[in-house]
Amino acid sequence: MTTATAPERRGTGSRTLSVVRLQLINTQSFVWVPLLIMTATVVLCLLIFAMIPGDGLKPSGAAQAPLWYFLALGIQAMTLTFPFSQAMSITRREFFVGTVVVGAIGAAMMATIFLGLAGIEMATNGYGMNGRIAYIEWFFEPGWASAWLTYFTVTLLLYVIGFWAATVWKRFGTLAIAAVLTALGLALVIALFVITRTGSWPAVIDWFAQTGPFLLTLGALLLTAVLSLGAYATLRKTTV
Amino acid sequence: MDPVIEVHHLTKRYKDTLALDDVSFQIERNAIYGFLGRNGAGKTTAMSILTAQNFATSGSVRVFGENPYENPRVLSRVCFVRESQKYPDEANAKTAFASARLFFPNWDQDLADELIDAFRLPMKTVTKKLSRGQLSAVGVIIGLASRAEITFFDEPYLGLDAVARQIFYDRLLQDYAEHPRTIILSSHLIDEISNLIERVLVIDEGRIIMDQSVDDARGQATNIVGDAALIDGFIRGREVLHRESLGRVASVTLLGQLSAEERREVAAAGLDLAPVPLQQLIVRLTQRSGDAAGTSTISTEGALR
Repeated sequence: MTTATAPERRGTGSRTLSVVRLQLINTQSFVWVPLLIMTATVVLCLLIFAMIPGDGLKPSGAAQAPLWYFLALGIQAMTLTFPFSQAMSITRREFFVGTVVVGAIGAAMMATIFLGLAGIEMATNGYGMNGRIAYIEWFFEPGWASAWLTYFTVTLLLYVIGFWAATVWKRFGTLAIAAVLTALGLALVIALFVITRTGSWPAVIDWFAQTGPFLLTLGALLLTAVLSLGAYATLRKTTV
Repeated sequence: MDPVIEVHHLTKRYKDTLALDDVSFQIERNAIYGFLGRNGAGKTTAMSILTAQNFATSGSVRVFGENPYENPRVLSRVCFVRESQKYPDEANAKTAFASARLFFPNWDQDLADELIDAFRLPMKTVTKKLSRGQLSAVGVIIGLASRAEITFFDEPYLGLDAVARQIFYDRLLQDYAEHPRTIILSSHLIDEISNLIERVLVIDEGRIIMDQSVDDARGQATNIVGDAALIDGFIRGREVLHRESLGRVASVTLLGQLSAEERREVAAAGLDLAPVPLQQLIVRLTQRSGDAAGTSTISTEGALR
């Protein structure tokens, strides 16, 4: 590797970092759109808080909106960038690791923004209107670090689900992904059915409360890791 | 022979079609190959498998002596931009080249810049708004400027105008002379690239039907130009592959070679021996191989156009 035509080749680690830069070609998708959704959500919530009379606590579930966008981002990271990564002679493993790192960066960004918002809500008594967008009390019970991890995990989980779904679609086709989603939906309904019929709702709710947000977050993080491995296994034989 | 690619008994079966049927061939280091065949002959499938973008059903592929699959040592020395290449949503030519620069260790930015000018490629238009020719130009520039040790061009001229195609051919030869490497040019415009390529690899219905140097291929036939009536005297039972005439002047391609004595007679009769047109030769040989394999001539009619 001393000749002029074959300079010292960079290691696969730096190629993986280059995949991160490759994914960030879509800065609009990865940075500006989530920020825009976030801002729009906050503005809408504030207007709605202002409309609601009374001084009671006004929680809003709208904060999940920008998180769901990461589902779409995960899909795009696969469908739009994978074919180009193949033309760049990138291995599937390099592409996968780099793409998950990008998702983690995005998730960290969102978690940090949420904690910032939660701080504002605490400092201003919910924007002066006792409103709650990011400060969901239960998440913050184990502490702010745990809450950050919760937001991070939810975002990354959605991203990985989107990525895997797109990979299944790319490899096995529309019918396969439809079948998987139907099966998952069916499993969920059956679970709800069983819980309802056996009258187990109090027990289930109790279990969630007992486990607490921190342990649940760790569980979700584990689930994210498992899904990532599934996505990687699927990607290994996916073609453009 | 110093092969950089070795393919043994490669078969690729899609659900209902056999794209590659027990194909074996080698690609030598530092040569320009014409990878020729009709649409759907298996060219893109073969190149995809060689670059680990697709997978073989059976058989083996060695690139630089190794399996290319998930192998950054091999892949970083190989470049394959496909004909219908997709780009990231927000990518424009500029970001595409910036990415290529990250991944191809021999990337030459000066060459890329020159080619951008030569092709008059808009740098800020998102790729999905580029014309077919401009998209081809993006692929061609990545292929040339990456200076990968093995570079595949997949029908690179699609949508390019005549001037742009000539620029591509000229720059390819020029850069190849300065930086010898292995170039595989998939095409069905045989005549246009016949002066570029050193070896031909012809694929038809998933099988390699011709694998030889261009000189050897041309050596199989003879082309005589001159007075039509005089030429007929030299045919002497040989198969006529192609005949073109303009008034009394004709250009006739015959299968087989002339003896030294016949060559003298040709010269004495005031006729000229001209280079054999590769396209006609390959069309004819493709059809013959189709006949030999028991398929009808009709299926290859108008082949390789």
